[in-house]
Amino acid sequence: MKRTLLLLVCLASALAHAQGEELENPGTVLAVQDRTYRMSSELWIGVGIAPLDAFYKGLTGQVGYVYHFSDSFAWQVGRGLLSYNIKTGLRNQLETQFGVSPTAFPQLNWIVGSDVMWTPIYGKTSWLNSSVGHFEVFGTLGGSVINERIAADVASGTGQTVFRPAVHLGLGARIFTSKSVSFRLDFSNEFVIYKGLESNIILVQLALALNFGGTE
Amino acid sequence: MSVVRMQSATAAAVTLLLALQGVAQTPPPQPAPRPPAGSVPAPAAQPPAPARPPAGSVPAAAAPAPAQPGAQPAAGQPQAGQEQPPPKVDPKIFDEALKDYFDDKQEQAARKLYAFIESTPPTDENFSWAQYFLARCLIDLNLRHAGAVYLAKVAHERSNPQVLPKTLEALKVLTLVPHDEVLIDEQIFGSLDLGFLPDSVSDYANYQQGLVDLRVGNERWARTHFVKLDEAGVEASRAKFALLVTRLRNAKGVVDDQMIEDFLELSKDEKLTMEARNEARLAVARLRYEKKDYEGALKAYDMVQLPPLDPGRATLYLEEAWTRYNLGQLRATIGLLTTLDAPSFRDEFLPDKYILRALVYRDLCQYLPAKRAAKELTRRFSDSLEAIRERDDLTQDFRLRRAANSHGSTKRAAKFLESLNLEGENLGRHAGGFGDRLYKHLGHVYDLAHAEAERLYQQRLRDAVREEADKLLRADEQVRLMEYEVGLKLYERVKRGAKLAQPEKQVQLTSAQIAFKFTGEYWNDELRSYRVSIPSRCLEEGAQ
Repeated sequence: MKRTLLLLVCLASALAHAQGEELENPGTVLAVQDRTYRMSSELWIGVGIAPLDAFYKGLTGQVGYVYHFSDSFAWQVGRGLLSYNIKTGLRNQLETQFGVSPTAFPQLNWIVGSDVMWTPIYGKTSWLNSSVGHFEVFGTLGGSVINERIAADVASGTGQTVFRPAVHLGLGARIFTSKSVSFRLDFSNEFVIYKGLESNIILVQLALALNFGGTE
Repeated sequence: MSVVRMQSATAAAVTLLLALQGVAQTPPPQPAPRPPAGSVPAPAAQPPAPARPPAGSVPAAAAPAPAQPGAQPAAGQPQAGQEQPPPKVDPKIFDEALKDYFDDKQEQAARKLYAFIESTPPTDENFSWAQYFLARCLIDLNLRHAGAVYLAKVAHERSNPQVLPKTLEALKVLTLVPHDEVLIDEQIFGSLDLGFLPDSVSDYANYQQGLVDLRVGNERWARTHFVKLDEAGVEASRAKFALLVTRLRNAKGVVDDQMIEDFLELSKDEKLTMEARNEARLAVARLRYEKKDYEGALKAYDMVQLPPLDPGRATLYLEEAWTRYNLGQLRATIGLLTTLDAPSFRDEFLPDKYILRALVYRDLCQYLPAKRAAKELTRRFSDSLEAIRERDDLTQDFRLRRAANSHGSTKRAAKFLESLNLEGENLGRHAGGFGDRLYKHLGHVYDLAHAEAERLYQQRLRDAVREEADKLLRADEQVRLMEYEVGLKLYERVKRGAKLAQPEKQVQLTSAQIAFKFTGEYWNDELRSYRVSIPSRCLEEGAQ
């Protein structure tokens, strides 16, 4: 009984304090602004890296087109990536010192895909207290088709390639520099699906995006 | 109860507009540009005539030049009995000085030019050039007032017609920064013989002389100057602005549509600076407010353009807040008052702000906040109110002094005084380079200028603090009325069956809008965007 009374007294004082605050400073304040930057049709071109594989590092070039239905939802209609692969020191060592066959190293050739894009965060930031920059953070989810070289004929320079499906999951941020130009930084992962031999291809990419038809 | 806006819009307009003497200055203030080497008699290209003191010429000390306006001692005229007579110098020192000047050795050049001026009669062909280049040296060394004194001498003496255009152009540039208004605006540009002026400065001189006539109430004479202005020039636009302000001042509260249209047209004149165009827009808004055309006034306020991230002026927000209050937009009014709490405006003297906030809260039946807002004024300005009641020296009151210094002629006088102080300090750094004679002479020039500027500033300050004190007292009176009324409302009996009035519908955000919750952190780009959600506690009409 005493405990209940004590609890009630505490609650009553807290409520009274809250009510007093509301009486003294009523209302809430929002800064409501027109969005400075709005995307519509976006064409982007980027360069990046596929850093995960221990036997090669891919230098990638990618282009894509995104249609923005609203400020928070968009469809990345298509994207295509080409990878230029560079052997790592480990692979060289395996091939030259341990006699491992070069055909044993599958590597990425190219990717095409399509995603949906969700942009829940739009914000602004202050640069050295002298200018204001705007940014947004988005996530992407979609499907891809991946072309990988799984065997190579070193002598002829040809090899056997395969197509594999993948689920694309990404996170990115965009910094606006003008109504029509922005820069994107994308981190994404391709979950390659293949009969129990699933693998991941992680991509990091910086892109220049051009916006067409955005509302002023 | 009649709580009214503290200052009529017309009066505010006149005060503000007249306060901006340099309201339409086109280029931003910048130091005097250095002339191209070929545009003056440079030693190599166009050697000036050698300075030959005529035989038997009287030394400068023995033949003092007529006293210059502004009680400045004549250049190179040391007071007899106090200083040694100036040493004789070789006339070639003038050429050396010019060479030093173009080699960016301003200190050495100034010392030599001063020595030349001291030992050379004013009739010498190079005398005016020496004065002009001495002025340029001093301006380059950030001793602008001293430079202005020498330029003024050249403009007054007019002994060499070739020097005059450059001198007047240099003086025109000096008007863009805090300067001696009596010396430059009135005694030079306000009294020049316009018939002999070069085209480059004749418009400016005509404009200045028209302004002088307007200030003494002679509009007809002013028009005779203004009609000579080139229509395509910036001075013509500035003259229109000055005439409109004068008409507004003389209208004494009678506002006609034509005047509004004229200001509106002027607000679109690209020849004027953004600040001047904004002043014209504010004038339109104030005049419409006076005519109770509040919607129109709001449109004019919306037309005011601010540079990116510029916080704008507190008076702009306060006036817009009054306009919205009169339109019944109580929440938008509170939004603007929130803006006025921003750090950028923390030092502004705005007693109206507290009254208006209390009025809005009162209209929303938020009586406790209303009382609190009203009391905030007496709390914040308690020292100043006490000083007024005790009949203390109001110029010593920090808040009133700051308010007085923030606008009008007092602001200009304060800025000029401040610049003299800075230049006086700066002079000390050149003591070695200038040599004893020039340093002493300039010290004397600055002492005199400082004394006069201080006297003028104190005179203007006394008048200005009295005005601010009046404003504060009126606001204090309004606060008492407000407290009384709110007190009555607080203890009013609630009628049986009374219900709270229906809450106002919230305006939904559109897809193109974004909302940032305000947590006390002010961003300059948001200052005009605050939207307040505050419930009304008023009871429905018709309760028993």
